[in-house]
Amino acid sequence: MIDAFILLFQWQNLAFLVLGTGLGIVIGAIPGLTATMLIALTLPLTFHMDPVSAVTLLIGEYVGGISGGLITAILLRMPGTPASIVTTFDGYPMAQSGRAERALALGIMASVVGGVISWMFLASMSPSLARFALKFGPWEYFTLVLMALVMLAVLAQGSLAKGLMGAALGMAFALPGIDSSIGQARLTFGSSTLLSGFGLLPVLIGAFAISQVLRDSNSAATDLKIDPPKKRLPVYWSDIRTHGANMLRSSVIGTWIGLLPGIGGNIAALVSYSTTKQLSREPEKFGTGYEPGVVSAETANNASIGGALIPLITMGIPGSVTEAILIGALTIHNLQPGPLLFQNAPEIAYGIIAAYLVANIIMLLMMWGAVKWIARVVQIPRSTLLSIILVFCVTGSYAVNSSFADVWVMIAFGVIGLGLEAARVPLGPFVIGFVLSPIAEEQLRASLMMSDGDVTEILGRPWALFFLVLCVLTLIWPVIAARIGKRNTA
Amino acid sequence: MPEFSRRTLGDLALCALVIAGSIVMFIGASTLPPPRFEPLGSAAVPRILGGILIVLSVIVAVQAVVARNSESESRPERPAAIPYRGTMVLIALVVYVGALDFGRVPFNVATPLFVLASGLAMSRPTFRHALFFAALGLGVALLLDWILSTFLFIRIG
Repeated sequence: MIDAFILLFQWQNLAFLVLGTGLGIVIGAIPGLTATMLIALTLPLTFHMDPVSAVTLLIGEYVGGISGGLITAILLRMPGTPASIVTTFDGYPMAQSGRAERALALGIMASVVGGVISWMFLASMSPSLARFALKFGPWEYFTLVLMALVMLAVLAQGSLAKGLMGAALGMAFALPGIDSSIGQARLTFGSSTLLSGFGLLPVLIGAFAISQVLRDSNSAATDLKIDPPKKRLPVYWSDIRTHGANMLRSSVIGTWIGLLPGIGGNIAALVSYSTTKQLSREPEKFGTGYEPGVVSAETANNASIGGALIPLITMGIPGSVTEAILIGALTIHNLQPGPLLFQNAPEIAYGIIAAYLVANIIMLLMMWGAVKWIARVVQIPRSTLLSIILVFCVTGSYAVNSSFADVWVMIAFGVIGLGLEAARVPLGPFVIGFVLSPIAEEQLRASLMMSDGDVTEILGRPWALFFLVLCVLTLIWPVIAARIGKRNTA
Repeated sequence: MPEFSRRTLGDLALCALVIAGSIVMFIGASTLPPPRFEPLGSAAVPRILGGILIVLSVIVAVQAVVARNSESESRPERPAAIPYRGTMVLIALVVYVGALDFGRVPFNVATPLFVLASGLAMSRPTFRHALFFAALGLGVALLLDWILSTFLFIRIG
């Protein structure tokens, strides 16, 4: 771990971390633009970078992107990222009553505390969890991936069938290309372009950046008017006593919710906010500009990042789309996320952990010192930003293989993403299905080869059986919950 | 009998497209050789996924038709606004990439024109805006071209 910090403090890695965090804060603060989109857009550039620098840049963007959302959530009641939705409940009323600086100060402090506490979980749990995961065989991996996909699909907003359909569609789009097991073309229909399959980067950029730009372009004419904070941001020593317990509890909630696939920072913030409200002596004050509301939401949403990074680096399982893109970043550098990452590329595994802590500290310094200017940057007309983003999308997709076929794939997936969202099919399971499909197939085929095609061997593997049972329970729980609800109302 | 709402039609269209895609997958899988060195083979996963997608499409279609009866009788749906700006930006994007790919138009020429077109599609089309977007496009094109060719040794367009 110490080596990872030493490596991180080399000037180029630190510069990329500062750059990533700064970019993340600005993009995260702009409503409509998300950390996911920024990371997807930056990914092609990392192709030509040293893996440690690439990872530090992306982790900085992730942390900055989630934290930056609080600025517009408090000042405009427009959350820069979905993770900041809950911050608007009390942050905006505080700003309306002339306490914008106090709300921002608390939000920033809470974000950092959430980040640091979840880092402690990340740093202490990851190496031992990775050692434990080394005992997993193909059956365990296959059922783990299946469970992650089912949880993502079930927990995605909207219909269960559409969530599952999104995941299955994503998996189906990953099938064309050379089947690595037998070295034969599959579902290419004679097209030489399809032999290498749909590239991860064009699919990610298309599904997230292009579809989002096309959607946002309809409202790009309405620009934001913001009133930046004028006074210094006030924090007091007494805040430790007043908000300490809330921050600690919200950090634990955020970290553990972040661990679960499919539940992002917005749900973590909501659960933490509800818990704080239930435990409060003054629950009626929540939603009226009450400080514990801002603290619980911002602590939990940042803590969820640390939680989500745990299954990513220990088992290679993405908890959300952003983590799926981070897996893509590791894959393009020939690094396989999972338990072996700690053995094969410890500088990357520990580098991610170290970068997450330092990114939180950089975020604190940047937001503390520059929140006034960040609030002004948010006012750049969206038509200007979106036009430039589109050019970046095109050049980014082209740069990976110097091929326009990738650019056309990107546009096609942009339209597919837009169509799926219009049909209320969640994009999260779609993209994660695309990323996890090759792993799931590879592990299933290896399992069946090892057991001579005998599926019942799964019964002799307790962890695989456990994941499978969880998978089935996740699938049937919505039906049971609906029945219980009906019975209670009757 | 109530008319199909926009939402129901959308769901049914989605199901039709997914079923069509699944059939294409089945056709593709049928051309693959049977498993030789392993029990599962190359065609199994496309077939499994195709089957799952068809089952899910049928469920979504049934849900859409059942939901139609309860929702469409009560209140007529307001026609959704056509996203003109998004459509224009998409057309500009396709023309831009087409010009770079098939027309071999230089990147430094195509990019300012694209930024101009997409920028004007997303804002009020005034002479001042046009001038701004053209200048912005030229600046972005020159900067990206320099970065791509100097550091990544990539020529685009």
